Amino acid sequence: MSNYITEFETLFRDVLENEDIVLTPETIASDIEEWDSINHIYLVVEIEKHFGIKFSSSEILQWQNVGEMIDSVKAHKEN
Amino acid sequence: MLFNSFEFFIFLPIVFVLYWFVLNKKLSIQNVLLLVASYVFYGWWDIRFLSLIMLSTILDYYVGLKIHSTEEPKKRKHWLWLSMGFNLGLLGFFKYFNFFVDSWISAFNSIGIEMDPFALNIILPVGISFYTFQTMSYSLDIHKRKLEPTKNFVAFATFVAFFPQLVAGPIERASNLLPQFLQRRKFNNKLAVDGLRQMLWGLFKKVIIADNCAPYVNDIFADYSTQSSGTLILGVIIFAFQIYADFSGYTDIAIGTARLFGFDFKRNFNFPYFSRNISEFWKRWHISLSSWLNDYVFTPLAINFRNYKKQGIFAALFLTFLISGLWHGAGWTFIIWGGLHGLYYIPVIFSKKRFTSISTNKSGSNKQEFAFSDIPKMILTFLMVCLTYIFFRAASVADALGYIKIIFTEIPYWPSGVPYKSILFIIILMTAEWFQRGKEHGLQFNEDTKVPLALRWTIYISLLLLILVFSGQQQQFIYFQF
Repeated sequence: MSNYITEFETLFRDVLENEDIVLTPETIASDIEEWDSINHIYLVVEIEKHFGIKFSSSEILQWQNVGEMIDSVKAHKEN
Repeated sequence: MLFNSFEFFIFLPIVFVLYWFVLNKKLSIQNVLLLVASYVFYGWWDIRFLSLIMLSTILDYYVGLKIHSTEEPKKRKHWLWLSMGFNLGLLGFFKYFNFFVDSWISAFNSIGIEMDPFALNIILPVGISFYTFQTMSYSLDIHKRKLEPTKNFVAFATFVAFFPQLVAGPIERASNLLPQFLQRRKFNNKLAVDGLRQMLWGLFKKVIIADNCAPYVNDIFADYSTQSSGTLILGVIIFAFQIYADFSGYTDIAIGTARLFGFDFKRNFNFPYFSRNISEFWKRWHISLSSWLNDYVFTPLAINFRNYKKQGIFAALFLTFLISGLWHGAGWTFIIWGGLHGLYYIPVIFSKKRFTSISTNKSGSNKQEFAFSDIPKMILTFLMVCLTYIFFRAASVADALGYIKIIFTEIPYWPSGVPYKSILFIIILMTAEWFQRGKEHGLQFNEDTKVPLALRWTIYISLLLLILVFSGQQQQFIYFQF
């Protein structure tokens, strides 16, 4: 998990243009001011690009926090 | 039953006393009381249409359990489609049937095929756009696994029909409101008093501002072609305050009433006319609708369009605003109103790297304090919104275009028949809200703000006197028609 968190943090900081972002598995969108619904789409695109994977729409819509996003990435990487 | 009616003035204390002092022994009995009260509140308008609410309630209660009971994606989807099909079908029939038939006929006529006009006399059931959205979100959230269905039918039925928010919102989500029906409410004096203040503030907005602005606005829009440019500009500005006072006033009364019963609704307005850009406006105006559209329309669309980059996001956003327009009313004026708001996002999406959403989950906080130096941006945003209101208020697209044409082609002389009294009330409203902009509503006094008791009571009594002396002729709440 910790490796993914660091990679996620870099991506988040990059897309949301905020170097102070610190993520935990429990982080949710309302914790980060810049993480709104439009930026969320850009985050998804960057995560897919970075890890070379493609999420399904229903998968994306079910995420509740950063931890669940990372679980999704893991599931794709392991298959 | 209208909030600003004599019936409600009698109804509310009766329910309040029964709720806290007579039927307060068991939670389930309190819920039954609220359900019965809510059905009485609604049945006061039209008892026939209660059956629609009940049908929608039963269906989504059942669908929620069914979706949850199976892991098979196909079955889950089928149940979800049943809920969507039914609720959108209800909306489609009662709200849009005539609009689509008319548009269809005029489309055929325009290509030379004559068709007879055909329209059913369909009455729009009050609140249908609100409660169908609320029940749909319940099934959608269960489908997305963000919510567990309840097995308490009465609690669910009361969640759908709860009278403070039944007819014009806020559109509550099950995740926030439903758990409140499942646990014991305690009478909280502070919350109840704040609720009363918010109700008083809402009543002031509705009967003093909105109802006093209405006749002036109605006259101008009914007969715009004979008015001067200056009058038309003032007319739409007054309408902007009318609709704000009307709708946010309704919301204030709804939230305040819920507080009297120990319920906490989400915020629906956050001083929208102080917004500095259009995306901020949509985070502050009718938040429960914009966040609904954000979660169930914009986000799924944008996820599907995500490979088209900024164009994809804009397309998702534009479609969302068209749907928002259609939600407000079955007519091209509303669709154009939504479309204009969508177009206003072009600079937001295509110019900067960082984007802001059409919605917010952070409505509770006022992280970015407004400053005096922001006023030019606020005025610009307000005027952009006013331009869209011309379509929102006009009887037809042709009327809206005619209205705009006069504004932009004639010299704006000083308007005629200026409603100075209404303007004075608007100034009082905006000044109060400016000073209260960090609070949840215009009449909130936190413990940290040391407002002396005498001053507070002077304010309450002045407001009550104003309401007694200056209330305009009773008008229906504008959002009842949606």
